[in-house]
Amino acid sequence: MEGIIRFLENSGFANATPGHLLMILVGLLFIYLAIRYEYEPLLLIPIGFGILIGNTPFIEHAGMQLGLYEEGSIMNFFYMGLLKGIFPSLIFLCIGAMTDFSTLIANPKLILLGAAAQFGIFMTYIGAITLGFNNLESAAIGIIGAANGPTAIFLASKLAPHLMGSIIIAVYFYMALIPVIQPPIMRLLTTKEERIIKMSPPRAVSKYEKVLFPIVALLVTGFIAPASLSLLGMLFFGNLLKESTVTKRLADTAKNGLHDIVIIMLGVSVGATTQATTFLTPQSMYIFVLGAVAFMISTAGGVLFAKIMNLFLSKENKINPLIGAAGVSAMPESAHVVQREGLKSDPNNHLIVHAMAPNVAGMIGSAIAAGIIMGFLR
Amino acid sequence: MITHFLPINFSAIGAEHLALAISCYVIVFFTLFLLSLVFGILPKLHTRNLRKKMQKEGEQVNTLIAGKMVPGEVSAAIAMAISMYFEELHDQEASILTIKKEGKSYSPWNSKIYNVINFNRFQG
Repeated sequence: MEGIIRFLENSGFANATPGHLLMILVGLLFIYLAIRYEYEPLLLIPIGFGILIGNTPFIEHAGMQLGLYEEGSIMNFFYMGLLKGIFPSLIFLCIGAMTDFSTLIANPKLILLGAAAQFGIFMTYIGAITLGFNNLESAAIGIIGAANGPTAIFLASKLAPHLMGSIIIAVYFYMALIPVIQPPIMRLLTTKEERIIKMSPPRAVSKYEKVLFPIVALLVTGFIAPASLSLLGMLFFGNLLKESTVTKRLADTAKNGLHDIVIIMLGVSVGATTQATTFLTPQSMYIFVLGAVAFMISTAGGVLFAKIMNLFLSKENKINPLIGAAGVSAMPESAHVVQREGLKSDPNNHLIVHAMAPNVAGMIGSAIAAGIIMGFLR
Repeated sequence: MITHFLPINFSAIGAEHLALAISCYVIVFFTLFLLSLVFGILPKLHTRNLRKKMQKEGEQVNTLIAGKMVPGEVSAAIAMAISMYFEELHDQEASILTIKKEGKSYSPWNSKIYNVINFNRFQG
């Protein structure tokens, strides 16, 4: 009899709170968005399912080693991958093995758009200060403006681990909503004439330049911001595996099998960080509001900087300011948004090739920003 | 209006916060500017070296360099085609299983003629 009572006390029905049920609904919403609208399904399905796992109610710290934050549990093992920055570094390695930096090498001035779009990080940092977050928390929240999941996980785990769940969910949620957030801002800040600017095609890039890029870029960025090495080191290492063409097997593993494995573990553990008991706080709501603002400011920063650059460029070298929006490092979704918006204004104007340059530059820029913030605050 | 929902306090922004935000942003910008500068110069150096090498070998420089470069439109079209091809391969599966019915190939080992049951007939 005693066993039955203990069993019932341990059941989810006995331990469910409105918070758990609310988070289960959020998890279901993520899964719905992924399946119904195909919004980032490779991320939203693992995260959504992770939310369901993390919010199935049970008695925490009852010695059953179940919860994410309980030492010894299998979920805690996954959580360590986030907390110690293992998953973000591995994801960067895989992204490096997938990314072609040719468009960026062909037109290096577009790197500046990736820098301009990091404006959102620092404005959001100031915004978080005004909402009463301390310096470290504000910096961790600010990185939402980078629109880069691994970078956000990396910085949040170092500066504000207690806010990691909210920050990561905000980043991935808004990344999935990039096709909804960016287009109105892009249209608002550009004229019809600007949107139909046709850019000259990028030049061909030699293998020599492609091989040299990850090495030189690592040395330049690493010497200035060594704290970003665990991200950028892996990114450029992955890219060298790809571009050297002599380590095809390693590059293939990184971009296929390893990437999928890390995405599964990262997605599920990120979702599970949203345990209702630690996630549902007013602070999480503020982080979500700040996250939306961060994405908008970053998009606007990229677009406006492209317009400023146009003031100094000759007529044949003008930039279509829409590609500035791809400076946020949500890759490749923001580049696809630019392509779609460009086609709406001129069905013959394909901007995706040009948009990939600020897109990858944004990814590098966000990791540099994370490293520099770490250097200042740690 | 917003302050009704969010406890915004602008006086919390100190000089040190602004200094951190501005200096961090400037460094990010400078780092990426440096990177763009390096990769602006690098191809020019490479082309110059290529020219020198070809001049030594007595080849027609301009035509050869032009011949080694693929036009941008061509590379863009190739990149797009490859990207689309790989996207197809990625996780867009048709979710159709094709189970073809395979006809049994003849073998004397499964032939009815040589079945053991026939043994009685031979006896009779």
